[in-house]
Amino acid sequence: MNDPLGIVSRINTQASGFSRPGQSPAGQDFKQELLDEMRKVNQMQQDATQATNDLLTGQRDDIEGVMIATQKADSAFRMLLALRNKVVDAYDEVRNIRV
Amino acid sequence: MFTSFDISTSALVANRTRLDAIAANIANADVPVDPKSRNPPFSEQVVYFAPGDPVSGDPNGVHVAAIQPRNDFRRAFEPWNPLADKDGYVRYPNIDPVVQQANAMLATRSYDANLAAIEAAKSMISSSLSIIS
Repeated sequence: MNDPLGIVSRINTQASGFSRPGQSPAGQDFKQELLDEMRKVNQMQQDATQATNDLLTGQRDDIEGVMIATQKADSAFRMLLALRNKVVDAYDEVRNIRV
Repeated sequence: MFTSFDISTSALVANRTRLDAIAANIANADVPVDPKSRNPPFSEQVVYFAPGDPVSGDPNGVHVAAIQPRNDFRRAFEPWNPLADKDGYVRYPNIDPVVQQANAMLATRSYDANLAAIEAAKSMISSSLSIIS
């Protein structure tokens, strides 16, 4: 399944059982996850650009596939953008804590 | 996450292929069969769909399994035609332009329906973003 942000597979793997606080969850740290997703979205955008170039230079003729590649890249990017906004919000929240 | 996009895209491609065949049928409806031609005579091209998308490997997609000629011809009495046989008959492909127009509308509507499915999937993804923002 195409899952550029890895959200669905993560939900499926973590659905069974709660992780206890203090216990570090299996897997990479958050920063690494985020960078991986950014790399995937970047790859999708490059694929979309490549597909558009191929269509315009006549190397492929399925306009539907090109449009869908563009749409996928757009959706994935907007999802990443929403995630990034949420992260920045959380950061601001922490920064505003008075010490 | 983008599975429905791939499924609908395969249907879009299949329906465009069907429209290609219909366009060929309409274009060649009035082309007489040349008995001396080395090329096979044109007859109505029929498109057969089959489940499964070979591009993404998704069994829920659709693809064109075959485009086959129907090999059905009508005879017209045209003794003045240089292509006529010794009895004065010329063979034409038995293509009804009205049926072809109806098939073209069917292909177009089917294309639109799949496009609407893509729009629905797109709006579902877009509106899911409002959960965290």
